[in-house]
Amino acid sequence: MRLTVNGRPREISVAPDETLLSALRDTLHLTGAKPACERGECGACTVLLHATDDGLEPIYACLALALAHEGDSITTIEGLSTNGTLHPLQRAFIEQDAVQCGFCTPGQVLAGVALLSRDPNPSDDAILRAMSGNLCRCGTYPKIVRAVQDAAAIMRGTRGD
Amino acid sequence: MAIDTGIPRRFVTTTVEVEGREETKVVELPDHDPSPWGTDAELHVVGQRATRVDAPEKVTGRARYTADTVRVGMLHAAILRASVARGRATLDIEPAKAVAGVVDVISANDLERRIRLAGGVLFDTSVTYAGQPLAAVCADTIDAARRGVAAIVVRYEVETHVGTFAAAVADGAPAVRRSSRAPSGEAGRSPNLARSSPDVVERGDVARGLAEADVVIRRTYRTPVAVHTALEPHGAVAEWDGDRVTVWESTQAVFAVREHLAAGLGISQSSVRVIKEHMGGGFGAKTSAGAHTYVAALLARRTGRPVRCVNDREGEQADTGNRPSTEQRVTLGARRDGRLTVIECEADVPLGVGGWEGGPVGIFQELYSCPNVRTVERFAYVNTSPMTAFRAPGHVEGAFALESAMDAVARELGIDPLELRRINFASRDEKKNREYSSNQLLECYDRGAEMFDWTAPRVSEGRLRRGKGMAAQVWGAGGGPPAYAIVKINGDGSADVLTGTQDLGTGSRTILAQIAAEALGAKLADVRIVLGDTERTPYTGPSWGSMTTASVGPAVRAAAEDALRQLMEAAAEVLEVPGAQLVARDGIISTHDGSASIAFRALCDRLGDVMILGRGSRGPNPTGVGLGSFGAQFADVEVDAETGVVRVLRIVAVHDAGRIINPTLAESQVEGGIIQGLGFALFEDRVLDGATGVPLNANIHDYKIPTIGDVPRIDVALLDVADPTANHTGARGLAEPPIIPTAPAIANAVANALGVEVTELPMTPWRVLGAMAR
Repeated sequence: MRLTVNGRPREISVAPDETLLSALRDTLHLTGAKPACERGECGACTVLLHATDDGLEPIYACLALALAHEGDSITTIEGLSTNGTLHPLQRAFIEQDAVQCGFCTPGQVLAGVALLSRDPNPSDDAILRAMSGNLCRCGTYPKIVRAVQDAAAIMRGTRGD
Repeated sequence: MAIDTGIPRRFVTTTVEVEGREETKVVELPDHDPSPWGTDAELHVVGQRATRVDAPEKVTGRARYTADTVRVGMLHAAILRASVARGRATLDIEPAKAVAGVVDVISANDLERRIRLAGGVLFDTSVTYAGQPLAAVCADTIDAARRGVAAIVVRYEVETHVGTFAAAVADGAPAVRRSSRAPSGEAGRSPNLARSSPDVVERGDVARGLAEADVVIRRTYRTPVAVHTALEPHGAVAEWDGDRVTVWESTQAVFAVREHLAAGLGISQSSVRVIKEHMGGGFGAKTSAGAHTYVAALLARRTGRPVRCVNDREGEQADTGNRPSTEQRVTLGARRDGRLTVIECEADVPLGVGGWEGGPVGIFQELYSCPNVRTVERFAYVNTSPMTAFRAPGHVEGAFALESAMDAVARELGIDPLELRRINFASRDEKKNREYSSNQLLECYDRGAEMFDWTAPRVSEGRLRRGKGMAAQVWGAGGGPPAYAIVKINGDGSADVLTGTQDLGTGSRTILAQIAAEALGAKLADVRIVLGDTERTPYTGPSWGSMTTASVGPAVRAAAEDALRQLMEAAAEVLEVPGAQLVARDGIISTHDGSASIAFRALCDRLGDVMILGRGSRGPNPTGVGLGSFGAQFADVEVDAETGVVRVLRIVAVHDAGRIINPTLAESQVEGGIIQGLGFALFEDRVLDGATGVPLNANIHDYKIPTIGDVPRIDVALLDVADPTANHTGARGLAEPPIIPTAPAIANAVANALGVEVTELPMTPWRVLGAMAR
């Protein structure tokens, strides 16, 4: 099958029942998306699907069949920074300490990026709603909210970087 | 060879408190023990809000976890687990071997040695709990391995299981552990009672305490089984090279895994290397080798290929330990002036098929000053997966009961609950009859009350009832020896700090870097911490018991100072200032008056291949002193009186853990503890099917952990009062304390809002409505 991953066209062979998560991790060696529940309960496997309207949709790669994404463009955590420059939300996660064990972090960051692609000035409520499909057992939630708020402000240019 | 041990004493005996239990250790006195960083110490890196040193790897997906580890030719293993709670299993593994992609299948008949696990013996076909490992399959892909597991034909001869404490101690109950002799020596004693049960601890005279009381309250509290639910499941990758095996393991204790694996395989510890780079949480569950470890190592040896074995979520939730449930029957008596005259707690704890006796009564013996205290704990084995320490084991359960009961006393007496706690403040450790090294609990009360606006009334609107509550906490968090560190100064003046501990996500990598940079006079960016490798790093204990900062921190500081001393001696020679007093800061050594200086880099350049190696170890604990961390939390809640839904609006937390090495990371850890405490209070409950003993919610959809939407505003204050008596860094542990008071603070707020007490966790809507209906 063909798909674009992190801006790069890829041609890979997958089993008919193979998940997108398996294709990304085992075939393309992009291990940032994590298997944690493998049934769409925790969000650790979140990756971004480029929608037709240029928005970004967070999807659970553990529930997605790889073949169903023929021709799609996918961004994983490995593709979020450009030329070594971190995405503002990655920087905000570091600065706000929205990271503990880090296992859920790639999914959290991508869920936040998806939100900001749709809503550059999200309310607290919108943040909680958008991020509620990504579980964190360490309890970084308060810092995640602040990181998303910070990154939103920086991306809107209303806050100095 | 004979050594004269008559001169001078190098080994001493010291005590270390681990997860509420005191251990005696014989430890070496350090060659060099730095003088304490006192309250007025001028520190430049320690105490700063440095960002987490491994955060860049974690936000970019570069951080590699066990589940991400790939070795050339690696196979994937899956474990077959028992689907009944008790019985005899007969396996036909042949069909699995026929599944495409399957390379090997292993079960009881293939084991040369008995391998002991927390819940029995590996692959025992005599089943004693649902989830018990029976066999394992390895294949080219994990999917093929799982198909192989599904192909194994298992027939069970089901036997009656023992699912509850009451059933375990009932007359004629079958022995849960087949190793238990039934009936044991004492007539009428259940074979399922743990050897130490009942464990009675008493001080003073409770009859007198009851007689002296003006009010007596009696309550029964129940807490659920809680499952750690780290997002990264337990897992291991094993690879053999001849007769040596390397294991990448998601673990809080690389040295314990090495010890267990070596013993289990019958090889020497020097033939086993255990590595832990990053791990996705532990919370107490990852402190030993597990079935996954042995499966990976055994299948790798049999197949001659590396093998990865990571639990699936169901196996993770069903068989990697838990916080056992409790029933606690509590009696408190107090005089009219609020002074406690008696504290009693009788607790029953079903442990599962194994585990250690980590019960709830410790906090009853320690948190309040009271002359008459009696606690009784009974532990019974039942046919469920074995318990494992879970963040502040025992104290979380005990605090819910004790602190709920304290509020019942306050209501009975008409005394403000916070005032009642001040009145009964324990200025010394009455449990062990000794002073504390430092105890700022009263200050926690004062700061918390101010931040929370404790005296302001909470106003309900119609069915939405507002309430406030608070609770306190004590936890042994002084750490202790043994722990070792080595500091290597590289040719460019940068430093590698080698120490065997693990960073679970707690931030220990960062705070150890800060301690090393401070002691070395180096820039933080020039210090690299190398952890979690039994071959490369010297021993430290497991990352548990809130021990790492206070145990490993002093060893790292001592090693860094040892390295700096050598750097300074070299600098004095290079700068031609023999005997001058030198200082180091930001990687530059200079004379006190600033007349001469040299950067580490330039100095190391001059030294060429000469290597500076600093060595440090953790010295013994002070004798006869209690080393506790303290705190108080305050909760605002809103309860919907029609639906019974509890919403926590705000938590204020004030904690005293000695010196704070990094306030940002410490706050994160407190928030994390509170959020887990919130889950324990409101949502988390492992549900067993009563008829079969099989867990019904071994997943994260039905076992409810908090989401971001459940989390209230949390305000954290850390008192940051250095404790130079505890150790020379002045820091104590903070990992476990913040989970302890959260549930009772919320429960007390619910009682305040509704006027009725909810005495069983989690406080689900139906329990809240049930309490209101009574």
